[in-house]
Amino acid sequence: MSALPQVALAVALRVLVRATDPARREALRQLVIDAGHLPVDSPSGADAVLSDQLQVEGFAPMPEPSPRTLFTPREVEVLAGIGDGLTNKMIARRLAISPHTVKFHVESMLKKLGARTRAEAVAKAREHTLGNTVEF
Amino acid sequence: MTELLEQLSSELAARTAALQGAVAAIRLPRERHVSAIVWRGDAVLASEQSLPQREQFDLVLPGGAEAQARLAGRDAGTNVAVLRLSQPLAPFALASGEARSGALAVALGADGIGAASVRLGLVNHAGPQWHSLAGGLIDRRIALDLRLARAEEGGPVFSAAGAFLGMSTLGARSRVLVIPAATLERVVPLLLKEGRVARGWLGVALHPVAVPDALRGEAGQPSGLMVMSLVEGGPAAKAGVVAGDIVLSVNDAAASGFRRIAGQFGPDRIGRKAVLRVIRGGTLLSLDALIEARPAA
Repeated sequence: MSALPQVALAVALRVLVRATDPARREALRQLVIDAGHLPVDSPSGADAVLSDQLQVEGFAPMPEPSPRTLFTPREVEVLAGIGDGLTNKMIARRLAISPHTVKFHVESMLKKLGARTRAEAVAKAREHTLGNTVEF
Repeated sequence: MTELLEQLSSELAARTAALQGAVAAIRLPRERHVSAIVWRGDAVLASEQSLPQREQFDLVLPGGAEAQARLAGRDAGTNVAVLRLSQPLAPFALASGEARSGALAVALGADGIGAASVRLGLVNHAGPQWHSLAGGLIDRRIALDLRLARAEEGGPVFSAAGAFLGMSTLGARSRVLVIPAATLERVVPLLLKEGRVARGWLGVALHPVAVPDALRGEAGQPSGLMVMSLVEGGPAAKAGVVAGDIVLSVNDAAASGFRRIAGQFGPDRIGRKAVLRVIRGGTLLSLDALIEARPAA
């Protein structure tokens, strides 16, 4: 099968950005702007929703880690940063490591998640983190 | 053959007619509803995840009469919510039974105007007890091979003999699960009495990680659970746990996965000590936490 053509949306979408943490909301808004869309704060007239209040759909069992998705502590921290919508620079600051090291980890995580774009990585990182984090 | 099918068909129709007194509808905004089980006269049960965060609800009882009910308690851990009717109903007798893999199951939902909608399927799997993501203990794992509309969730599930198996619940990827009658029997009295189900709590969010190679021998296990965040002033924080610690065990349960430590947080553990073995900055240490009751969400 040939690779799918990349199609850029001719219209900018109005994206409702929802997050409880203001820093995270700002990061998600920036992500929307970088992708050429318009972040909005009210549901009226929004074309899409980008929310950190994503919930696992349905009543789910406690997950059990599989060796395939077992990351190192540093990878998990980087993954959480990607999922929070942070840039490499912000992740470096959060973890007090060099942006170069973060870049290395991010690229490796993108590969592990099977994500081609940053936006895809954010969604997948969040899904992974959410589905494998349990409160006790 | 024709006779057999006709017999099955009329038996199912007769059974539905006989059992629909166990199903009520809970009204939701925009003309929608979810299903509920009429439970011993003054209480109705519903699927916790399908109920909005409200105190007062409008119901449609079997037969079509309207009623009002107040939230008595809800437990996300077992997905059970209990509403207390303002005026008791004549109780509907539910005789509990055990689910068996391969047996037929009939799931009833509310049609929203006083009667039942019906689904027929097999008990796809009946297995041992399990813990939900929210930390609740479910006495048996029961999955059905039928589909359920959102409005039908929370209704009763019966065996072919008419025995009550439990409450229908939508699981991940729209899979239909059953919260077993045994779990309802255990949880409903607590919800009616205290409004919630007490559960042991440390105040940490944990995520599985690989134990660094250099520490694997000393740790004695290849994986642990990393502390992603802590509740300020929670039991773990008070014990000196910090974000980034890798928990290796809780008491004598290895923290190589969630399910093995889930048993350490039952209601009987509240007020008891939890010994946490953790890795911090390349060294192993042991911290003592005092398990508290999980605060209401």
